[in-house]
Amino acid sequence: MTPADSHNGRRLTARGARTRARIVAAAAELMYIQGVGATTLDDVLAASGVSKSQLYYHFDGKEPLVRAVVDHVGQRVIEREREALSHVSTMRGLRRWRDALVQNNALRHGAYGCALGSLASEVADHDALARRVLSTLFTEWQELLAGVLRRLQSGGALPAEVSVDQLATGLIAALQGGYMLAQTERDVTPMATSIDMALAHIESLSTV
Amino acid sequence: MRTHFAEVLAHESAVLAGVTDAAKLAGWRRRVVQELMTPQSPYVLALRQAVDASDRADFLGRWRELIAETVNRLLQSSTRGDTNGSSVQPHRGDVDAEQAAVLILAALHGGGTLSQIAQDPRPLNAALDLALAPFAPPPEARADDKRTEPPDQ
Repeated sequence: MTPADSHNGRRLTARGARTRARIVAAAAELMYIQGVGATTLDDVLAASGVSKSQLYYHFDGKEPLVRAVVDHVGQRVIEREREALSHVSTMRGLRRWRDALVQNNALRHGAYGCALGSLASEVADHDALARRVLSTLFTEWQELLAGVLRRLQSGGALPAEVSVDQLATGLIAALQGGYMLAQTERDVTPMATSIDMALAHIESLSTV
Repeated sequence: MRTHFAEVLAHESAVLAGVTDAAKLAGWRRRVVQELMTPQSPYVLALRQAVDASDRADFLGRWRELIAETVNRLLQSSTRGDTNGSSVQPHRGDVDAEQAAVLILAALHGGGTLSQIAQDPRPLNAALDLALAPFAPPPEARADDKRTEPPDQ
């Protein structure tokens, strides 16, 4: 049983699951746009259109709601990244991945950043459980990138002695940091620069 | 929040002004990693997403300038051919100081966040290894560098 279809161990009806999903989707959207700290349960009530008793039936406070948002956003981002990365085996493919992320972020002038990274920087120091879940999600994302680098390595585009885990971690940090700089500057340029510099470094390790 | 910005910038402008070779760059790096791994450090507080976006933008812009000035200084001393065993050897002749500074700041920001959620300095160190790779000391100067990476999990 996943947390999405249960409540305190009880199985939700289809209608209950839909209500819960509506609350989580509304909360995720609000927290993405205005931040976790600035989002109140009243905001979520208004945006989701559910009743107070429905909200409290599913979540007995903000903390469990934030955790549900972390699960929801994490699943979405990891699915997107798995789809984008699991077949990439060339530098060119990796650059296409970069182009899609930059392009998407440029649509909003970088204003909102990475949904998962924003949660990480807001939640990290006041909820140990959410922090651990976020850490697992970022490890999954890093694994997807490490998979790409391993395929580059077996194709001969990266030398065998390069530590792909180390590089993948550096790349995801550059991506996340880029998102955060872009968000502050309301301009996607620092994000593009940051990933480009990281990719250029990876390419410079190339043996061919 | 403003005081964290001012505090970090005061530290950074003092320390970065003294970074003239790869060994001093490594010293700067060690200190920043330590700050970013200390909860409630002004570095952690200043980098946290905050409401006062324009103050944050000024702060990050100024820090980036300080890093870019340092990178420029390192690049110039390496082209002058200063050979004191610890001078940087850019791996590529075409390092752009402004862009390198963006990556270094992004590595601090993104790597810091990943390290805070993992409660482990390795992501931040991996990020800085990547960002500072063009300025790494030549292999012989690294022999006495005690900062070794733990083996991969």
